[in-house]
Amino acid sequence: MMKKLLVTLLTASMIIGMTGCAGSTASAPAAAQPAEAENESSEEAEAEAGPEAEAEEDSEQADAAETAEGEPVTLRMAWWGSQTRHDITVEVIEMYEKENPNVKIEYEFYDFDSYFTKLKTLVASDQVWDIFQLGGNFPEYIDKIYYLNEFIDSGAVDTSGISDAYLKITQDTEGNQIGLSNGLNTYGIAYDVDMFKEAGVPLPTEDWTWDDFADAAMKIHEHTGNFGSSGFTSSEFIAGCSTYIAQQGNVGENSFFNLALDGMGFEDAQMLTPYIQMRADLIGAGASPDAGAEMEITDIENDFLVTGEAAMTWVAVNQFPTIYDICAQEGRTLALATVPRVKKDGPSGTVIQSSQMLCVSQDSQYKEEAAKFISWFQNSVECNNVLKGERGIPINDEVRKALEAEATDGQKEMYDYVSLVGTFETPEKINVLSPAGQDEVVDNYRNYIQQVVAGDITAEEASDKTYADAKKLFE
Amino acid sequence: MAKKAEKASAFSRFMNSNQTVGYVFAFPFIFGFICFSFIPIVTSFYYSFTDYSMGSKTLTYVGFKNFLQLFSDDVFIKSLGITIKYVLLSVPLKLAFALLVAFVLTRKSNMVTLYRSLYYVPSLVGGSVAVALVWKQLFARKGLINVVLSDMGLKTVNWFGDQKLALYPLILMTVWQFGSSMIIFAAGLKEIPVTYYEAAKIDGASGTQTFARITLPCLSPIILYNLVMQTIQAFMSFTQAFVITQGGPNNGTMLYALNVYNQAFKYNHMGYACAMSWFMLIVMSIITLVIFKTSKFWVFSEGGED
Amino acid sequence: MHSARTTRKIIYHVLVVVFGFIMIYPVLWMIAGSFKDNSEILRGSLSLIPRTVKASNYSTGWKGFAGTSFARFFLNSFIITVVATLGTVISSSLVAYAFCRVNFRGRKFWFTCMLATMMLPSQVIMIPSFLIWYRIGLADSYVPLILPYYCGQAFFIYQMMQFMKGIPKELDEAATIDGCSKYTIYTNIILPLLKPSIVTTVIIQFYWKWDDYMGPLLYLSKPESYTASLAIKMFADAASKTDYGAMFAMSTLSLIPVFLIFLIFNRYLVEGIGTSGLKG
Repeated sequence: MMKKLLVTLLTASMIIGMTGCAGSTASAPAAAQPAEAENESSEEAEAEAGPEAEAEEDSEQADAAETAEGEPVTLRMAWWGSQTRHDITVEVIEMYEKENPNVKIEYEFYDFDSYFTKLKTLVASDQVWDIFQLGGNFPEYIDKIYYLNEFIDSGAVDTSGISDAYLKITQDTEGNQIGLSNGLNTYGIAYDVDMFKEAGVPLPTEDWTWDDFADAAMKIHEHTGNFGSSGFTSSEFIAGCSTYIAQQGNVGENSFFNLALDGMGFEDAQMLTPYIQMRADLIGAGASPDAGAEMEITDIENDFLVTGEAAMTWVAVNQFPTIYDICAQEGRTLALATVPRVKKDGPSGTVIQSSQMLCVSQDSQYKEEAAKFISWFQNSVECNNVLKGERGIPINDEVRKALEAEATDGQKEMYDYVSLVGTFETPEKINVLSPAGQDEVVDNYRNYIQQVVAGDITAEEASDKTYADAKKLFE
Repeated sequence: MAKKAEKASAFSRFMNSNQTVGYVFAFPFIFGFICFSFIPIVTSFYYSFTDYSMGSKTLTYVGFKNFLQLFSDDVFIKSLGITIKYVLLSVPLKLAFALLVAFVLTRKSNMVTLYRSLYYVPSLVGGSVAVALVWKQLFARKGLINVVLSDMGLKTVNWFGDQKLALYPLILMTVWQFGSSMIIFAAGLKEIPVTYYEAAKIDGASGTQTFARITLPCLSPIILYNLVMQTIQAFMSFTQAFVITQGGPNNGTMLYALNVYNQAFKYNHMGYACAMSWFMLIVMSIITLVIFKTSKFWVFSEGGED
Repeated sequence: MHSARTTRKIIYHVLVVVFGFIMIYPVLWMIAGSFKDNSEILRGSLSLIPRTVKASNYSTGWKGFAGTSFARFFLNSFIITVVATLGTVISSSLVAYAFCRVNFRGRKFWFTCMLATMMLPSQVIMIPSFLIWYRIGLADSYVPLILPYYCGQAFFIYQMMQFMKGIPKELDEAATIDGCSKYTIYTNIILPLLKPSIVTTVIIQFYWKWDDYMGPLLYLSKPESYTASLAIKMFADAASKTDYGAMFAMSTLSLIPVFLIFLIFNRYLVEGIGTSGLKG
């Protein structure tokens, strides 16, 4: 009897499991057939347990504002961030609801890690929020993103105040608008001006090279006993390693991954070696933190640069105003330097990127309404007076000017720096995406550097291994 | 009348048969298992033969590829060794410590409640960020431990910089949180009849003799329980490594559960993570089985296993 | 003789207290941290006395996120935890009784299944579990956070089984002669004698559930329904900033309920120790 029961159960669960999987396999790949995807998602929405309470509230609101055009719409929206971000975002949501009485926005917010765990469960159950926030890891979720193209064409999304360059940072290589960026960002090196002067090292210039960087780090270390350059965070792979490839040859000749994102963008693994060797040398000499010291950095706020134990550190520039203010309180001055180059007159390899963006989901029932909100969120000066660029430098010119006018010293430095990077020559076509699974390559790459420091492998071997790991992503 | 009584007694016989009683009492578990555990377990087994990843929605059957890949995956092999080392060191230490403290704190004294609370508090903070920060700072290059070491004229140690050493602070943290084992032991100690001790006292047994002859045998079912549970939980340990070292340096603290997390969530290889989990399920089952088999020789059971 | 005993007593207390202090130092540090500002916490100060006392961490923390305060989060946690803990005690003791005292067919099989449920990492069964709740339309509610606790928890079932093994079978036999059925043996004999195990279960399960973060994250989506464990985690945003002061302040408050539960129930583990012997 037992056995029979078990067999029945097994089959039953297999069937459930299978249909579950079959269902998932069937969902439309990306935005290839928007019409079909729409049908599917409305079915999905019907199947969803109806939030009665909201429906009631909606009708009330609709009654109250008879002048409002359109049917009542409930949008779900989510983001990650800090307490401040949650407070101000909800404030602008309420502002929007007041202006558009037929729209009700149900919001959820989390911290970064929780957000993505939650998102993954929603992807699995086809109920991703109508409006959701994504950062550099968005290629993983590309199947769930509904491109904004048609809304830009129809005028639902207003891009008149946004320059093409800033629209491009959230487009794929075919020109599809994946989302609208919440903020501009790029990498740089924050440094302590006085520590450079004390060690008698010339301050970084716009076109300084990796050799200058390594020299400076070593000299400062010898002179002050501090680290020349602080830890290399996980973003170093993009800011350093991958930039290092893009800096070789002519502008646009090399890149870490190719434009189509289906293979490598350079052929000789040894192009990486000098960079890895330099990293290992700095750590070996004590001019850069080893694995143990690096682990003591928990936040940008206790980075060795901020605690006064290092002269330089890598930053995503939107982090700069915070650490600038902390150091200013202690009478120290920080400044931003560009990412060093391979050759003085070679390509900079750096580009303006998007710190994060808002996207419309494939699962949304009201894609156009969602897109309208995003448009308002990026373009409304009134809205951004509340948001105050907390998510990054706004992409709308008018909004940016309004905020720039009241910028603090640290923020000014950041704005100037981003303008400077904007003037660098960039390839005609760039790929802002990175392949899914890149994290594994990055983690391994960081371990290889530690192995080079320990003398287990050579820098040449580390380059080969990193190249092989990256190549494996496309197999 | 007689018929009714017969019927009633047949019903009551049915209700009181071992089968019925067993399934009535076990019903909550069986219901829950079938509804909420069984399907996810089978699904994860199915995933282990696919290339399922959570972001994308497509899924291909890949046969035993994931399982074969395990044996050529350097990180997995390394994590397996580290996990076993972690289990072998942390479980006995934690249990010995928990038993010792539980035993010392059974004295009849008003202070015992307070003391026991003191020792239980660490288990109430789990893997919180505060604890992670303290632990990091204690073992930092210029942290308290190294200050003490250098004051004693010893060489300072770069705990989190050396992949051979980084596991020890984590083991210590696990042992530090021995509270739940301790109170289970305390409850077990309470169950030992005081007459046993009185008899031993009359026979003139020493403290150690009493402990070895009475306390340990009477407590052995609880020791077995704690051993099995702590072993399984140690294999599943995730938080310590996740909040403090994130598996580093150079994968020196890459515990198996953290590796599963990375594969499933960070690298998007859910299928592979499932294969890894099922492989480890077999490893754990074998170890648990061995513990159960040997327990026959050292567990003293009052109620008997019939 | 007398003084030697006193000395030994003093040594015992001093040792226990000193060691206890070392044990709870990190917790004290967290409490101290709830009065420090971010930079002091991050500068690696191991001191327990804040340079400047910053009580505003508590008000900043308490106000919560976007209008939902910690009063709400704590209330949510409390409801879920109490209901789930109650469920664990009831269901686990029932199931343990079946596994330990009733010789039914399939017992070993179900026991093995129970242990197996503990051996798969939650990371790999999380999504399939979520999909089940989603398909039956209960994903966005407290049900998935509570109902499974009424189906027995392996850790506690097994624990109660081991404690039941310590209850002499002769008691069951005697009760049967007195006319007790298997059902009344459970209520009249086993359950009362299982008290220490139940107390332990309450203490441990309460804390685990209180601290559970993954469950609420997956199954709750309205900020008003978040639990304290989930809300505390939100002070640390890996992508922007972490407000350590507020986080420590709320973590400190969050310790109070679990610690109180421990204090209340711990009494039963000490009170009259050694006198409740079963064979007495």
